[in-house]
Amino acid sequence: MRELSRRQAIIGLGAITLAVAGCGEGETPKKAADMSGNKAGSMAGYGLNQQFKATEPISFDVLYNNHSFYPLKNDWLFWQELTKRTNVTLKPVAVPLSDYEKKRGLLVGSGQAPLIIPKTYHPQEEAFVASGAILPVSDYLDLMPNFKDQVAKWRLEPALDTLRQADGRFYLLPGLHEEIWVDYTLAVRTDIMEKLGLETPKTWDDLYTVLKAMKAEYPDLYPMTDRWGVPTPGGNLLKLVAQAYGAKGGWEYQHATWDPALGKFAYTGAMPQYKQMIEYLHKLVKEKLLDPESFTQQDEQAKQKFNSGKSFVISTNAQSLINDYRPTLSKLNPDAKIAKIPVPLGPVGEYKIGPQTENGIMISKKALENKNFVAMMQFIDWLWYSPEGAEFAKWGVQGTTYTKDGSGTYKLADDIDFVGLNPGAPKHLQKDFGFSNGVFAYGGSTELLNSTFSEEELEFQNVMNARKPWPVEPPHPFNEEEREQVTLWETPLKDYVTQQTLKFILGERDLSEWDAYVKELEGKNMTSYLNLVNTAYERFKKEHG
Amino acid sequence: MTPTRSRGHRVFQVINAVILTGVVIVTLYPFVNIIARSFSDERYILSGQVNLVPRGFNLTTYRIVISDPMFWTNYANTVVYTVVATAIAMTLTTCYAYVLSKKHLKGRTVLIWVAIFTMIFSGGLIPQYVLVNGLGLTNSIWAIVLPNAISVFNLLVMKTFFENLPSELEEAAAIDGLNTYGILARIVLPLSKAVIATMVLFYAVSFWNSWFTAFLYLNEAELFPVTIYLRNLIAGATGAESAGAITAEVSQAAANIQSVAITLTVLPILAVYPFVQRYFVSGVMLGAVKG
Repeated sequence: MRELSRRQAIIGLGAITLAVAGCGEGETPKKAADMSGNKAGSMAGYGLNQQFKATEPISFDVLYNNHSFYPLKNDWLFWQELTKRTNVTLKPVAVPLSDYEKKRGLLVGSGQAPLIIPKTYHPQEEAFVASGAILPVSDYLDLMPNFKDQVAKWRLEPALDTLRQADGRFYLLPGLHEEIWVDYTLAVRTDIMEKLGLETPKTWDDLYTVLKAMKAEYPDLYPMTDRWGVPTPGGNLLKLVAQAYGAKGGWEYQHATWDPALGKFAYTGAMPQYKQMIEYLHKLVKEKLLDPESFTQQDEQAKQKFNSGKSFVISTNAQSLINDYRPTLSKLNPDAKIAKIPVPLGPVGEYKIGPQTENGIMISKKALENKNFVAMMQFIDWLWYSPEGAEFAKWGVQGTTYTKDGSGTYKLADDIDFVGLNPGAPKHLQKDFGFSNGVFAYGGSTELLNSTFSEEELEFQNVMNARKPWPVEPPHPFNEEEREQVTLWETPLKDYVTQQTLKFILGERDLSEWDAYVKELEGKNMTSYLNLVNTAYERFKKEHG
Repeated sequence: MTPTRSRGHRVFQVINAVILTGVVIVTLYPFVNIIARSFSDERYILSGQVNLVPRGFNLTTYRIVISDPMFWTNYANTVVYTVVATAIAMTLTTCYAYVLSKKHLKGRTVLIWVAIFTMIFSGGLIPQYVLVNGLGLTNSIWAIVLPNAISVFNLLVMKTFFENLPSELEEAAAIDGLNTYGILARIVLPLSKAVIATMVLFYAVSFWNSWFTAFLYLNEAELFPVTIYLRNLIAGATGAESAGAITAEVSQAAANIQSVAITLTVLPILAVYPFVQRYFVSGVMLGAVKG
């Protein structure tokens, strides 16, 4: 029996080698290999709504991003219960979160990486594609019924397409969200707004009016100062304003933006919409409504200004609101009140804009040589993508760490704390049990995502979820040669756009010179760049569309 | 203290004192400021009011860090790694340097270039990792203490020092019946206290501060030196990923975890300085200038 299975494994291996060798030619076989040698421990009829349980005890190495807030413990209930339910033991290779990416690169590069490599943010996986060290997971989705189900149910096909490489496959199993999840926005001092009789701003123009009114009352202050300016100037602010005008800026800046009217890509930094974003921000700076240091100062300085009452509006997310601003602000000024405002709107209308996928899992190519490969894919499918797996990873064990009533409301056990749900409780869901761990619990249904949010955050989410999702752009993956060329052009272009954007906003360069600026971009190969993008788009559409 | 000092000399003394005081202030201020912050309340830190003296005396962050058993495990690791690594490095460097200092040695130039070659070229990160892993050193103290055991710079300083010892002494010792090892152990080393103290300090400080080799080759938190522990603590405090309310304790920690971390790691090695200082000053100069 043993002899036979070993022979099967060798045959399977041979088939894989052939298939892999064939991949280099640009051919995309749907089935990469015969799996008969890799089925040990797998469930024959694994499917939707089914508890995965390996038919024999198996174990896998997993790269583990060790968070200092809840350092890895081997006696966590998470590990025990996971093994009990799935017959799988995970062996974590712990890497401190401070240098996770460095170590991951080293391990993959030296061929020592564990089979399962979570916490990878697109496009980080692209660095490993050329070396052939990681698995084109898109070829094996048939082993993952829950993943396929979520993609179909939540219409994630277009989002997945953006992960595809020139060969038409993708190499990362992303975290999937039922809906676009918007977290970053602006925080305002509501007590000041009340005092001045101002309404919550709905649009960016409203915000301008609000800032103006604040300035009139406090002429010595900049009513808005901003953080998240280092290393990307205006990381969050430029992103939000650009979105409102239909461009991309700040953290989200990309050279090419899809223009649905023309049916091709335009160069972002030269788009009229991008210019509108600049004009708006320039107006704020010129009228001394926005602190010009917003684009260069460290977060620490911005927080100090906001917390000590020297400004009233600042970028935030749910966590910063509660951690960075509220505690200090209320200590220094007990009357101060702050809130997240729904992301202000612009000419594009009521859209919520953002990704529906997030960081995910890479699989080492050598997993194909493992006799438990099929079981591993089923296991990943269950833990990360099935509703039961996601609930288990986030909330733990029903009756032990949480209870759930008939209406589907989750309640944490009384002696356990998590995100301030039971302040002062002796135990902690992450630290003492290993649940809601960033390595295993992310993505999933909106219901699950919202289950740990506070009242005020839910309110924000409700407003945002009423907006339409912004359509995903079509993919334009480069081939290897193009990528090399593009890399040479991208850096000078991006540096120039960033630099000139700041000059325009701060008034160091007059906006009447916009056309001259676009010409200067031409001189930096903007048009050639765009041609490559559109060629890549056309090719991908023809071959894989 | 002779009374016949020229005016010019006195002026020089004054200017010297002023400039050096300035230098002392410039180097000392950030350090005192860090210590002050580590004992201050977050309220004063976040509004930028802490300078030289702690305000709103607060020990919360110290308590958080010190009450974690992993902190002490890792601190002990650092001590062990530093002691073992320094001992190994000193033995190897001394032996190598002493051999190289003998001008009559055949192939001496080759041996020197073997050392200098490693100063200029290295195999690169991944080959190094593959090598260390292939030797089975990963996840053990040997991965920390064996690679980089000889610092070529220190080796050359020591070699120069040994070259400048009068060879007559060694000849006399040889005539009195000592063999090579005897000469090294009983004549040369006792005369080299200055350079040895200096090298011990150099090595100890660099091993104490190092985190990268440990980060590369160790996979278990129980084996990490305290530098990695603190590095990770800082990263986690400034970029925590779990959304939601946090307790007052955590927000206090976020405000001054960096300064607490720096204070805790720097103090012990700083305490060593005064004891070796007298060797240190003369030692660095000895190898290079005297002769």
